[in-house]
Amino acid sequence: MADILFIGLSLSSILLLIALGLSITYGAMGVINMAHGELVMIGAYTAVLAGIYLNLNLFLSLPLAFATSAALGLLIERLVIRRLYGRIIDTLLATWGVAILLQQAIRLEFGLSFFDIHIQGLGTGLQNISVPAFLTQPFDFAGMTIQPYRSFIILVTLLLTLLTWFLFYRTRIGMQVRAIMRNPQIAAACGIDVRRVSALTFAYGSGLAGVAGVLLAGFKTVQPDMGTSVVVDGFLVVVVGGVGSLIGTIFASLLLGQINGIIAVLSNDILARAVVFGVVIVLIMWRPKGLFSFRGR
Amino acid sequence: MQSGRFDSVGVDVVAYGAFILAILLLPLFLDDPFWLNRIAKYLVYGMLGVAIALSWGYAGILNLGQGLFFGMGAYMVAMSLKLQSSTSLQQGSDSPVPDFMLWNAQPGAPTELCCISPSSFLWLPFQAQWFGAVMALVVPVVIALALSSAIFRLRVSGVYVAIITLASVLLVRLLIVDAQPLTNGFNGLTDLGWLTVAGFEFDPYLTQTYYIVAVSLSLVLVLTRVLVGTRAGLILQSTRDDPNRARYLGFDVAAYQIFFFTVSAGIAGFAGMLYVIAAEFASPSFMDLAFSITMVVWAAVGGRSSLLGACIGAILINTIEATASESEMFQEAWRAIIGLIFILVVLFLPRGLAGVGQDLTARLIGMARRPSAAPDRQASRDAAE
Repeated sequence: MADILFIGLSLSSILLLIALGLSITYGAMGVINMAHGELVMIGAYTAVLAGIYLNLNLFLSLPLAFATSAALGLLIERLVIRRLYGRIIDTLLATWGVAILLQQAIRLEFGLSFFDIHIQGLGTGLQNISVPAFLTQPFDFAGMTIQPYRSFIILVTLLLTLLTWFLFYRTRIGMQVRAIMRNPQIAAACGIDVRRVSALTFAYGSGLAGVAGVLLAGFKTVQPDMGTSVVVDGFLVVVVGGVGSLIGTIFASLLLGQINGIIAVLSNDILARAVVFGVVIVLIMWRPKGLFSFRGR
Repeated sequence: MQSGRFDSVGVDVVAYGAFILAILLLPLFLDDPFWLNRIAKYLVYGMLGVAIALSWGYAGILNLGQGLFFGMGAYMVAMSLKLQSSTSLQQGSDSPVPDFMLWNAQPGAPTELCCISPSSFLWLPFQAQWFGAVMALVVPVVIALALSSAIFRLRVSGVYVAIITLASVLLVRLLIVDAQPLTNGFNGLTDLGWLTVAGFEFDPYLTQTYYIVAVSLSLVLVLTRVLVGTRAGLILQSTRDDPNRARYLGFDVAAYQIFFFTVSAGIAGFAGMLYVIAAEFASPSFMDLAFSITMVVWAAVGGRSSLLGACIGAILINTIEATASESEMFQEAWRAIIGLIFILVVLFLPRGLAGVGQDLTARLIGMARRPSAAPDRQASRDAAE
């Protein structure tokens, strides 16, 4: 039983990792960023390239991927999303375009493949990153086999969640973000620089996607369309948990991860995902605002 | 935004008439069966554009799961056509048996459709071709009716509708992939027979098959255009603009939303059926997230609030894509260009190509009648929306 719960916990941590960034961009800013998955993908490719050209290992790639995805997020916010605040469906559509662009940028090696210049680590092929040896050897602990890499992901997710909580609830800028969430006009009237704070928030959420990408790259093949499937899962977690609620996001990822893990053990992976989608549909119909929605004005 | 439509009924008649005439006359000028078949598929995509515009543009319901209805329509008719194919008929049994069922059969299982695998009896009625064709409409409509009743009676709205429909299409896709013995899983249904009506076999590369699609699209366009102009269509648009006010005026908002969601789904199912007739396969990729969003892209580029615009948008994008895909490299670059076009359309042309067309005709008509600023006023009102 503990084994199954651990599988569920491991799935939950990955869901949470993806959803954490989304809960900030979607929850706090009302932007449905379909390119979030591509920011995850960019993070993974950052780790691949850092491994090839800078000889950096997985740990050192983490801050680099955060910075890359955050910078890219800042750019996307500046060029596209800034013009679309308050038009939530339009953000979904425009960022879908951004997602295609980012995928094609990697596939076409930023257009260089037209000139027959090829960059190792990019292109349409599959990439891998090497995980340090001590994270790949399973060991026995308290009667069950522990997968160290999975535990590592859980640990990093935990730390990032704590960091996010701290930023949101214990710092000045976090308070400003929460003020903007509740009412952007009043927040602006109180002297908060809404544009700047929104841009930074979006960049932080994007950076988290980059970190998630590096961790995903440790156990998944890295390819240009790896982000598309994760972004949906991330959204479902955020919506089920309740838009703008960090606790809700954590709870929803635990719930959906455990359901996925338990059903997967009882039947198979495909059916488990189907059941998760079913549960999500029912939950959203029942409480569209999410399980832990804050009361609006 | 819709008020401008009343005096543009004449313009619409001309535009719809010209488009329908163009697709009906196309085979006279295009003597290449390969391209005719391709265009037939794009006309099917155009029909999907109509379905999207109806639910998104007129009802304000963004359905990100239209692929579910397209896919169900496709699978239903593909099951019938699969049983017509020579491989299914020549398995040496009394009833036709799809080849993949034989490959997956338990040793010693009887090679009859009724009992080769535990669920294969579900295929039995599909031996009649009309059954598959009818189911291609009935199944999407029934699913849409159930889903939309739940959604709109619970007053779920806006982006949550999009998320529920998105999760639904992915859910069904997984179920179809998982039901490998029944649906051939990931591989989908290939090697299909031809649609046969009164002894005539509709080879996908025949001009007659093109006409099935072209006439269907023309009918769908005309009927939906008439439908949105009826009283029900106008009430629907009022529920889009302000559901609460429509509710206070005594209209059953959910009923209108359910009705138009279901009509849109029925059109998508019909499109799925036509697609299988023209393309000779059905695959779970019809229910990929990307395909459902791509349909919305076509409609957005063409013009989400114009049935004809969304239809032309779909046909245009796919035709250019096909022309561009001569080399694989250019195909990839084209996808990037599509991504870019899409961002630009959302940012700068929220009403798509149809919006540009409407502004132009409004301006021309305005100039012809009296050189006043009437079109500009409408344009600014549209921009404010």
